[in-house]
Amino acid sequence: MATLLRGALRPLRAFPGSGRLAADVPLRATSHGAGILYPEHIPTSPLQKALLAAGSAVMALYDPYRHDMVAVLGETTGRRTLKFLRDQMKRDPEGAQILRERPRISTSTLDLGKLRSLPEGSFGCEYLRFLDVNRVSPDTRAPTRFVDDEELAYVIQRYREVHDMAHTLLGMPINIPGEIVVKWFEAVQTGLPMCILSALFGPIRLSARSLQVLVSELVPWAVQNGRRAPCLLNLYYERRWEQPLGALRQELGITEPPVRVEGLV
Amino acid sequence: MAAPRSWALWSLCGRGLSRVMPGCTIPGLRSSWPRSPLGARPLSQEKRATETHFGFETVSEEEKGGKVYQVFESVAKKYDVMNDMMSLGIHRVWKDLLLWKMHPFPGTQLLDVAGGTGDIAFRFLNYVQAQHQRKQKRQLRAQQNLSWEEIAKKYQNEEDSLGGSHVMICDINKEMLKIGKQKACAGGYKAGLDWVLGDAEELPFDDDKFDVYTIAFGIRNVTHIDRALQEAHRVLKPGGRFLCLEFSQVNNPLVSRLYDVYSFQVIPVLGEIIAGDWKSYQYLVESIRQFPPQEEFKEMIEDAGFQKVTYENLTSGIVAIHSGFKL
Repeated sequence: MATLLRGALRPLRAFPGSGRLAADVPLRATSHGAGILYPEHIPTSPLQKALLAAGSAVMALYDPYRHDMVAVLGETTGRRTLKFLRDQMKRDPEGAQILRERPRISTSTLDLGKLRSLPEGSFGCEYLRFLDVNRVSPDTRAPTRFVDDEELAYVIQRYREVHDMAHTLLGMPINIPGEIVVKWFEAVQTGLPMCILSALFGPIRLSARSLQVLVSELVPWAVQNGRRAPCLLNLYYERRWEQPLGALRQELGITEPPVRVEGLV
Repeated sequence: MAAPRSWALWSLCGRGLSRVMPGCTIPGLRSSWPRSPLGARPLSQEKRATETHFGFETVSEEEKGGKVYQVFESVAKKYDVMNDMMSLGIHRVWKDLLLWKMHPFPGTQLLDVAGGTGDIAFRFLNYVQAQHQRKQKRQLRAQQNLSWEEIAKKYQNEEDSLGGSHVMICDINKEMLKIGKQKACAGGYKAGLDWVLGDAEELPFDDDKFDVYTIAFGIRNVTHIDRALQEAHRVLKPGGRFLCLEFSQVNNPLVSRLYDVYSFQVIPVLGEIIAGDWKSYQYLVESIRQFPPQEEFKEMIEDAGFQKVTYENLTSGIVAIHSGFKL
């Protein structure tokens, strides 16, 4: 019976002020309601962000299939760059509209039936073909967790969701060389530290032949296009499904890739 | 429970209550306390009794079991790797020390509750096997005047290498048991162990069955710790021993501060990077803080009927081994 009393007392004793917790122990925000800025948010201290950045970088190199580690690296290292990207989105009319309306790309927000019915060669049709051929879905993007600003969290979420659009526009498949080319493009466009690190360290695991092709032809092409094209985050893709892919590429100044990437490994 | 004993405990609690919470304002509790210690519980206590803690969150008791199940289902595959990473391998020493304290002899019937991945069980089997082999060597040496045929016959005798010892591994979580079985196969542990799916609060065993009951790093996840302790008392034989290895309160303030920083800053990060699961490891470190300190847990064990209850702090109290006997 005495223990039942203690059981009742215990939740009270655990509250702060009981002296059992040190000052820097981050109390779980869900139990206190404070600090959570968006549904998946996990508030982290600077030390935790530093550890996450270092650890996720190592893990992403060690196991390239850990996409969640690349995502975590992006979130923990990109604060300054995300602010810059958000500001330049605000300056662009289409970008500002995106920030206001906050469109999301997932199987629940995309009208796949309508996209399938679009004419051959249109952006929407080509995007859908890219998803089918590579057997990916827009739902596999991890939600943002470690960005401590609600608007910046949206910016990085949008960046992740339009990554597949970048693949479609550049005509790159999702094998490792294809991903590296897209990362170079994005690194030049966005300046996110995660893109730069992936672009520089990603090729470590490639064969010599692929590396050769990458360095001599694909990367210069990607960099050139990246500089020429306006920021991909400023495009309201949801309004451009009917636009022919060729015309869209011309508008952005993106040329055809110099080599086929499918055969590389 | 005997009326005089609980009266003494109640009055002790009464003093303890005012010490712990000087500003306590549970309605009805303070005033009714000295007058009717064995009377009915006031209503506010009734309401709070159906809620409990899940780390630093407050959840209903029905929810907690399910949530804890999900945590261990998700961490099962990386459980051992994470244990090594989080404790820098020291958890192996702690478990070895538990076995040392136990000093099982061949023939011991062990019940390892919340024993999922089998760490304690495998150590137990190794220990009794080594003991049994030593005993046999001693016997052989004492029989130096035997003929060669008789000695050869002794070696050929397919004796039970464990000398009758047996360990029953009980866990509430199927995933943890699955990992444990895989490890047993890989480690070559074929005889002397059985895997049972069961709840520590309601064990699927008869009374007075086991010599030793262990629960290593499991009891803090149980919703009703007192029920688990009562079950432990029930299934042990008279003379049986209860052993609990669990995280506890650190007694050194400097170590405590470092430990807090490490627990809350580093461990969830490790969980995210290695296992891709921040929230489970956040729960784990919070549940450690919610567990009662050594003395209080010792009193809970005594309440369940155990005697000669002692505890030993390891690593400045990060971990403690509590031991009690059913006499």
